[in-house]
Amino acid sequence: MSVSKYVDHLLVLPEDDANTKVLNGFVLHDTINSRLVHVLPEAGGWRHVLDEFEEIHVKELRIYPRRRMLLLIDFDEKENRRQEAEARIPTDVQQRVFLIGTWSEPEKLKTALGRSLEEIGRALAEDCYCNTTTTWSHPLLQHNTGELTRLREQVHPFLFN
Amino acid sequence: MIRRFYVHNFRCLENFELPIARQSSVLLIGDNGSGKSTVRESIKILQMIARGENKVDNLVKPKDFAGGRKEVPIRFEIEVELGEKIYEYIVAFELPSGNKELSVTQERLTCEGLPIYSRNRVPKTWLKPYGVQNADPTFAIDWHLVALPLVLEKSPDDPLLIFRQWLSRALVLNPIPDVIYGDADSETLQPSSSLVELGDWFSGILSLVPAAYASMATYLKQVMPDFREIRKIVNDRGERMLEVRFAVEKATVSIPFKDLSDGEKSFIICALVLAANDAYGPLLCFWDEPDKFLALPEVGHFIIALRKCFNQGGQFIATSHNPEAIRRFSPENTLLLHRKSHLEPTIVRRLEDLEINGDLVNALIRGAVEP
Repeated sequence: MSVSKYVDHLLVLPEDDANTKVLNGFVLHDTINSRLVHVLPEAGGWRHVLDEFEEIHVKELRIYPRRRMLLLIDFDEKENRRQEAEARIPTDVQQRVFLIGTWSEPEKLKTALGRSLEEIGRALAEDCYCNTTTTWSHPLLQHNTGELTRLREQVHPFLFN
Repeated sequence: MIRRFYVHNFRCLENFELPIARQSSVLLIGDNGSGKSTVRESIKILQMIARGENKVDNLVKPKDFAGGRKEVPIRFEIEVELGEKIYEYIVAFELPSGNKELSVTQERLTCEGLPIYSRNRVPKTWLKPYGVQNADPTFAIDWHLVALPLVLEKSPDDPLLIFRQWLSRALVLNPIPDVIYGDADSETLQPSSSLVELGDWFSGILSLVPAAYASMATYLKQVMPDFREIRKIVNDRGERMLEVRFAVEKATVSIPFKDLSDGEKSFIICALVLAANDAYGPLLCFWDEPDKFLALPEVGHFIIALRKCFNQGGQFIATSHNPEAIRRFSPENTLLLHRKSHLEPTIVRRLEDLEINGDLVNALIRGAVEP
């Protein structure tokens, strides 16, 4: 009688605690239908995110076609991180899986913006809702532009009230 | 919103200040016996005063002195911002030599720094009402009585009434679903901690703001998709009771409130808290372990719903031992309460001021989070 897996929803697998705090801020935004966002416990590193994704979530994505999955990782300033991660996403679920994260790590974004991680999460949600890029265009986040556009197209219709 | 909450010499709280200013939601974590429930009891004492309990002996007892130190008064101080005005209420209790009951030694209510009334036992100052500070004493109130419930307001916008009403409506919750039957024979906006009068609270909210039902129903439909309505029925003995109706397509079932599961009752409590804050808030809500009866997938959503609601007004304070609930807060709004032993007072620290080695939940399990 709990949350239905048969309606559109977004499952989020964060790399670490800092990313979880950003997510908390995101779902606390007034316009977000937070019951359709399920935040999993942090995987403990970007490699663990991908391991867990491969071991558990690929199978479930195939079972639940209305599930979208966001892998929230740090790019640690590695040019090839996205390519490396994308290589582990099977093509049949690729369209419903998204890779987003800070170019280095959320703590650096926190310092750069002078805001708490929750506040940053709210600002990112505000951008998504208003279709702006005030925060998403920050140098530590702008590399997500393409993926964000793809994510927005798929989740905006159900994620925002 | 509370700007300052200070307690001294009450049970494990000595020179204790809860750093919750400017936080719309706060989580208290800490070991069993660290003082979380004593913080709840402290707030409850002030709430009881505002609700009309004026007999000191019904509020604090000699056993409440920290470490049995009876020569130092028990002190509660609260500073809140309501409608852009700052209110401060102070009440201190002492045990005069040879007495078995505590009595008031100091009491003061101010608004924007101006006294609404004040009284001191030493040097003896009887109750001085607002605006006549230099006048002779006007009231002699027994020192075994707290004055806040006794002083009469002069008008509906009297700061005294505003503060007292806010404090009396504070929700200090430690619900016991087993004893909540859903009886709804009267109305209240002041439910007790156990929420045994949940049905009356439901009626009170709807009597004040009938439109509040819509927000209750919206929330309940989200958490229980087959929820249809919650209504009052009259049973065989002529008593009014709450009943919840569920439906799947054309099939329906009605379940008396008392027969719902503890988790389902928690959903309804949450719906009432959300509706109450919208209807007659902003409220202060202290909820001891709101996640206690919930299934794991519900915990995070439950906490986020409450945090979201109070983000728009009011203040939500929760305690928890649940990893999912703990993850839904951040270091700037999580407070660690800690006591080295039963002989030492509670220490409180913001999590952001502590160095945590690795994941917080993991560190809590290892007992590696200490001030």
